[in-house]
Amino acid sequence: MDALLQGLQLVFNGQTMLVILAAAAFGIFVGAVPGLTATMAVALLVPITFYMDPTPAIAAIVTTSAMAIFAGDIPGTYLNIPGTPASAAYVGESSQLAKKGRARETLGTNLVCSVFGGLFGTVILVFVSPSLAEVALKFSSYEYFWLALLGLSSSIFISIGSKAKAFLSLMIGLLLSTVGLDMMSGAPRFTFGIPDLMAGINFIPVMIGMFALNEIMSFYGSRIETRNPPALSKDKVFGQVPTHVKKYWRNMLRGSSIGTLIGALPGAGADIAAWIAYAAGKSRSKDKAAYGTGHIEGIVDASSANNSGISGAWVPALVFGIPGDSITAIVIGVLYMKGMNPGPTIFMEGSGLVYSLFVVFFVANLIMLPIGYIAIRSAKVFILTPRKILMPIILCFCIVGAFSINNSITDVWIMLLVGLVAFILARCDFPMAPAILGLVLGTTLENSFMSSMLKSNGDLLSFFSRPISAGLGALVILIWLLPLFARLYRRARGGSRDQSPRTP
Amino acid sequence: MKDVMLGLCFMVAGIVTIYVARQYPTMPSLQFGPSLFPSLIGGGFFIGGLVLAASQFSTLRQRASEGHVVLRPDFQAILVSLLPCGLIVFYILASDYLGTAISLATMMFVLMLARKTQWLLALGVSVAASLVIYFIFSRYLLIPLPEGLLSVRG
Repeated sequence: MDALLQGLQLVFNGQTMLVILAAAAFGIFVGAVPGLTATMAVALLVPITFYMDPTPAIAAIVTTSAMAIFAGDIPGTYLNIPGTPASAAYVGESSQLAKKGRARETLGTNLVCSVFGGLFGTVILVFVSPSLAEVALKFSSYEYFWLALLGLSSSIFISIGSKAKAFLSLMIGLLLSTVGLDMMSGAPRFTFGIPDLMAGINFIPVMIGMFALNEIMSFYGSRIETRNPPALSKDKVFGQVPTHVKKYWRNMLRGSSIGTLIGALPGAGADIAAWIAYAAGKSRSKDKAAYGTGHIEGIVDASSANNSGISGAWVPALVFGIPGDSITAIVIGVLYMKGMNPGPTIFMEGSGLVYSLFVVFFVANLIMLPIGYIAIRSAKVFILTPRKILMPIILCFCIVGAFSINNSITDVWIMLLVGLVAFILARCDFPMAPAILGLVLGTTLENSFMSSMLKSNGDLLSFFSRPISAGLGALVILIWLLPLFARLYRRARGGSRDQSPRTP
Repeated sequence: MKDVMLGLCFMVAGIVTIYVARQYPTMPSLQFGPSLFPSLIGGGFFIGGLVLAASQFSTLRQRASEGHVVLRPDFQAILVSLLPCGLIVFYILASDYLGTAISLATMMFVLMLARKTQWLLALGVSVAASLVIYFIFSRYLLIPLPEGLLSVRG
């Protein structure tokens, strides 16, 4: 109880509340300007949170990401351009509704669903993670090896598009994680005689390069700038919301559950959660024909899902130190810097920090309602912000931000090189999430493998000697074999269909 | 075409990674050591690159036989997209002498002109933004950003 009070005290003070408000405004802005993503916002925020106390730092990240995911719907509705990839799934529906003059009604529904989804994910986070942590306390290096491998495998199998590309992207991340002194033998690897690389590659410059510099480069590579200011509708924001909520409360619950679950899977974030929830909503809907013509039902599912995914991604990040999406990949780094090492012991320490984190989630999602309302009313400001002025300023933030992590110009070089590689790979449709996951989990994977091998004198079968470890191992192998089973099943079904006319 | 080239690049990168990793020492009690993971990753690069190149090569041949026109890449657009990278190199080289504030202002000004912003607006925004960024990071967050020419005056 003391810890809870302490946590409340850490959040409800002037400094933290001010940080939350500023982060909310920043998140809305970044989310609402197309081309700036929530991950980019968080990556640029880290150098600033570096100098804050743990609670305001975490509060800033949580608030910014939640706001940016909602605000991505604003340009999606008015311009048919998703503000963040998480709004892409239902941008067609919402822009069709805007054409009918129902833009504010759509955004109001979006807002309420986002708040609901965010709170739903938070409730799951608060209730599930402490009990998961009790299980995780029994884990040793064997279990952590499988867990890391499970995360990496699911990041490939859940990715959209070519699996070979997702695999290569993962390998790049893993290779970056091996740079620096080897933890077991102390041998320097891939350091090329540069002293700054001995400690390994810090992933904040990598994230800035991958998400911010890459976006800036593709902005200068494209030639589209002029946007026609849309006719802004004047309908009521919350007028129709109670009717929609009453009619589609099941969709909100289903979308939020799907979102939390997908968010918690490593490698899949709010964007994939929204796509899957949209598809699930469509397949269960009574009027499927209305989908694609501006139907509010599809928005309800997906809009709840992307915000609940943000909260859900924190469950594995806090309990196991395995990020659920690219935002929590950054968060794990921040938690380490703040001395809140993610892992099951974070729940046992009894300090108010974990409670303050939970409280921050509730506050951030509740504050979304008034701030989102203001954002919807002043949507024109975000839509008309010229990117040709904004992008150069962001580039400067990238440079100074990458430099400030270690006060080292090497980090600026790393950001530049990673940004270049990410730009080439992104143009060839390589997914980025596996690379980040590889970078974050690479060290865990290698160290847990090596220490297990040292403990068992190189006996590979020891990975199956403990019950939980054997279970996790079986799960990993099952995921690897899943594509094979799916192919066999399809072939068997196709074969039986071919034979069916012949059977009497 | 792009994928075939990338696949080949990955295969070469895999071979180089394995070659470099072979020079690392092994652990005394095990047959493997710090070279194990880099070698596995190198192998992964090679196999992944091979799969990527092979799968794209067959579709490429199919398209060529059907008489599809291969689109030429837009070289001008690629050059413009490299401008931010060039300016980062400029910052790295020039910031020690010019100082952060002046280097950033120059970068922003060039980038804004590249996108046909009115020069007066571009100048105003870049000077104001660079000063704001410089003061936030050096005065409020206490980052030792290079002061350069500005340090002489004050």
